[in-house]
Amino acid sequence: MKWSRVMLIFTREMRDQVRDRRTMFTIFVLPMLLYPFMGMLMLQVAQFNAEYPVAVTWIGQENWPSESPLVIDDEQHRRSNELIHWTRHEPSSLTEDAQVVAENLVRNGATDFVLVTKPGLKAWLSQSTSKLDDNVTSSTDVPTDQFSATDKSIVPILTVVNQASDASLVAAKRVGTLIEDWRSAWLRKQLSDANLNPSIVDIVAIQRVDVAPAETKQALVWSKILPLIMLVWALTGAFYPAIDLCAGEKERGTLETLLCSPASRTEIVWGKLLTVICFSIATAVLNLFSMQFTSSFVMQQFALLGGPESVQALGPLPLSSLTWLIVILLPISAMFSALALAVAALARSSKEAQYYLMPLLLAGLPLVMLPMLPGISLGTGTATIPVTGAVLLARALIEGHLAEAFLYSPIVIGVTAICCLLAIRWAVRQFENESVLFRESERFELRAWLQNMFQHRTPTATAGEAMLCGSIILVALFFGRMSLASTELSWDSMTHSTIVIQIGMILAPCLIMATVLTSSVWKSLRLGRPRLADMLFCFGLGVSLHPAYMVLSSAIQYEFQFGSDTKEVLLYIDTMISAAPLWSVILTLAVVPAICEELAFRGFIFAGLLQQRGTLRAIIVSALFFGLSHGVLQQTIGATLMGLILGVVAWRTGGVLGCIVLHMTHNTLTMIVARAGKQTQLIPHFFEWAVVRTTDGGVAYSNLWTILSIVIATSILAALMWNNRPEHRADLLREGSLT
Amino acid sequence: MSLVVQVRDLTKTYPDLSVGTRVAVDHISFSVAAGEIFGVLGPNGAGKTTTLRMLSTILRPTSGTIIINNANIDTDPHLIRKSIGFVSNNTAVYDRMSARELVEYFGRMHEMSRDLLRARIEIVFKKLCMDDMGNVPCGRMSTGMKQKVSIARALIHDPPVLIFDEASVGLDVMVTRSLLQTISALRDEGKCIIFSTHIMREVEKLCDRVAMMHRGRILDIGTLDELAEKYQQNDFEDLFFSLLTQDEQSQDAGRIHSSSHHIAGEGVPF
Repeated sequence: MKWSRVMLIFTREMRDQVRDRRTMFTIFVLPMLLYPFMGMLMLQVAQFNAEYPVAVTWIGQENWPSESPLVIDDEQHRRSNELIHWTRHEPSSLTEDAQVVAENLVRNGATDFVLVTKPGLKAWLSQSTSKLDDNVTSSTDVPTDQFSATDKSIVPILTVVNQASDASLVAAKRVGTLIEDWRSAWLRKQLSDANLNPSIVDIVAIQRVDVAPAETKQALVWSKILPLIMLVWALTGAFYPAIDLCAGEKERGTLETLLCSPASRTEIVWGKLLTVICFSIATAVLNLFSMQFTSSFVMQQFALLGGPESVQALGPLPLSSLTWLIVILLPISAMFSALALAVAALARSSKEAQYYLMPLLLAGLPLVMLPMLPGISLGTGTATIPVTGAVLLARALIEGHLAEAFLYSPIVIGVTAICCLLAIRWAVRQFENESVLFRESERFELRAWLQNMFQHRTPTATAGEAMLCGSIILVALFFGRMSLASTELSWDSMTHSTIVIQIGMILAPCLIMATVLTSSVWKSLRLGRPRLADMLFCFGLGVSLHPAYMVLSSAIQYEFQFGSDTKEVLLYIDTMISAAPLWSVILTLAVVPAICEELAFRGFIFAGLLQQRGTLRAIIVSALFFGLSHGVLQQTIGATLMGLILGVVAWRTGGVLGCIVLHMTHNTLTMIVARAGKQTQLIPHFFEWAVVRTTDGGVAYSNLWTILSIVIATSILAALMWNNRPEHRADLLREGSLT
Repeated sequence: MSLVVQVRDLTKTYPDLSVGTRVAVDHISFSVAAGEIFGVLGPNGAGKTTTLRMLSTILRPTSGTIIINNANIDTDPHLIRKSIGFVSNNTAVYDRMSARELVEYFGRMHEMSRDLLRARIEIVFKKLCMDDMGNVPCGRMSTGMKQKVSIARALIHDPPVLIFDEASVGLDVMVTRSLLQTISALRDEGKCIIFSTHIMREVEKLCDRVAMMHRGRILDIGTLDELAEKYQQNDFEDLFFSLLTQDEQSQDAGRIHSSSHHIAGEGVPF
């Protein structure tokens, strides 16, 4: 790849985009105008919400004590009185029907809100006053619940509101404030009349001391909003240039001339990618500055006008925080841009590209929104989630938690870099793929398609069929697990549901698809003749990887702790499994899952994804499907990582049987270790040095064996790779497994 | 004359949802020498564009060999890209660039020095009578002007091979005439030219030899005189249609024959 050519393409694309008025408007003009307009609109809406008068109907106004009016007609209350238009309503028959009348009035829209004061109000008030007097004079202990019981049974005031109407809610709030003020005034008066200190109501005053510096408080607010805004705009900013640079070029026919120029596909993709990244960053940064500037300006104006303290605190974000945000933005923009470019390359026209990019936006938004959820903070687990980790890192940096940020930054940078490289690789592959670049519109005819599917079956599934199979399994598992969830948890019910899930929902879809869609079930499930050496390697790998997996599993469970309810259920399941016969446990939880899951994920799905030089795709996507098929997040993470190793084994051994051996060994060991604490005979004498007793009476691998086993596992994996290197496996090269 | 383009057993297949695999180009072979205009004539869907896209390295052949200017497409596609100039039927210019910017961009892509590029732009613009349109944005140009820019782009690095894929489609009579004159002049300069079209007159007027394509296969190759003599048809259009009809009839007969054979096979009692 020649960078001079990449820069040439980049410069041209940049110049082309800068000359496009639509792109320039979206990227440069819109951010400048959007936030001032939004601010203006919000201020007007807020003013409208706060200022417009509401209609309130009062039924039974005569029942209100005249000596203590609810609505005080003086200069101090003039403004609040103007905002409530009171109407007195006297129904023909009062008392019982008052509520019905009130409900009808609000429901029909005749009024926004109804206040009903019942005839018993005055009596209730005088009763309460007399009780207060009695208590004060007699000084005897009166049970408080007696007073409360009387209090609740009468309910002298009724309010009727329409929660679906904004006006009604505003009216409810305003009348509620009036009633609260009246109640406070009335209570103070009664206490005063009873010769008690009225300030008894506020006897326990709380003084709040805030040690947070003003800058940190500002940062706290901004750190929640700005990363979100920035990344949403980074994604949006990548869209339009990506569409124009891929689908647009196809539409104009210029892509052909570029493809037959001396520039390689990689150079073309890099040139275009840099352009999209520039626009993505520019859009995000401009929006960031514009929003920050506008909101800071508005807040400062509020502060000058004596607005609330919380608003005054929201000053401009410090320059250092803005710098951190932009640093985080760079890799994320690169990732979004590569994804947008790869997706846009699929489309034949700009219009079609918009259809494809919308799902990308929808898929990206949850990752950007996830950090907004309460309780989500930067940790080992969250740092490994693409985009989310970066948002949380940005937040930690803005809030000044530098130690925490630097601790997790290698994970975030690592994950983001991997995602970024994968996205770029995907984009390059898209540009190398003729069926993507020169896709012609095919009229889909179901009959012809089905006919072709049966007549021209290939020995293995296609990549699309593999993806479909994986998706069918996940959907079947989602519904299957829910419908099979039994309230009565026993070993029998667990065996039953496990076998139904494994055979009915994992194995059956891939077997049916292999039979119907491929010409060879044997090849499509990768049931090639196994080599004894490979089987031994896989067994050794299963044994030696187990300690590392146990450590990983504990680390995952430490980072993503189970809730107390889940813990209880898991403990119960553990006890149940420990009580069941070992052969039954191994058969149900080791043998059956190893066969079914491997045939599906490293068999049918892997073989399909391996087509068209898709080795990396097969390893990653089959691992993701395998991970997601485990219902619990903690298991999903561990299984995905294990799936990657199983994928490498499946790739190099050229079949599924080695993976079955590895998987079965691993699951069997898990079952044995789980019960070895109580059944010590399960640990062979020569292996006793490798295990230690845990505090809860179980056993675990010793640190020495864990370290040794990792070294052994690495060596076995290397030996397996060496033993199956391409030049030794011409048979697999022909099948396209070793590419 | 030295052979500049050599094509042997070239095949291109596409996966197709309805039929499984669609054969777009089916084992075709031909060669073109320097100073020759080689016409590829065929109706729509004959496989002309696919063939030319493979020659210009845009598509990878499914099988077969392409050697252009002594470079093999499988091993040295980048050398082939330096040896060819490709002009497609859709003019394919960047609307937001001027003619000079566009031609300069592709010249720089070929790593031409600034001085050489400037000199070549002068020559090419003069040759194509484009001196007054250097600074006009391509978006404001007529189709004919755009096609001139497209040819200038293909000529800027002075390639020995020029590929024109239905380059006259959508052009008016005047511009088409001018285009054909330009191509003829390029032949006289010693360029090896492959010119695909479905218009008989253009072939008759321009091509030294012609390959007639139908359904991905070359039905015959030769000079116009050779073909006329071989098929005893003086009118080229009649000759072309009689070849197409013969080909369709033989393919239909093949289909009927194979299906009847298949049915007969099923009917055998043992």
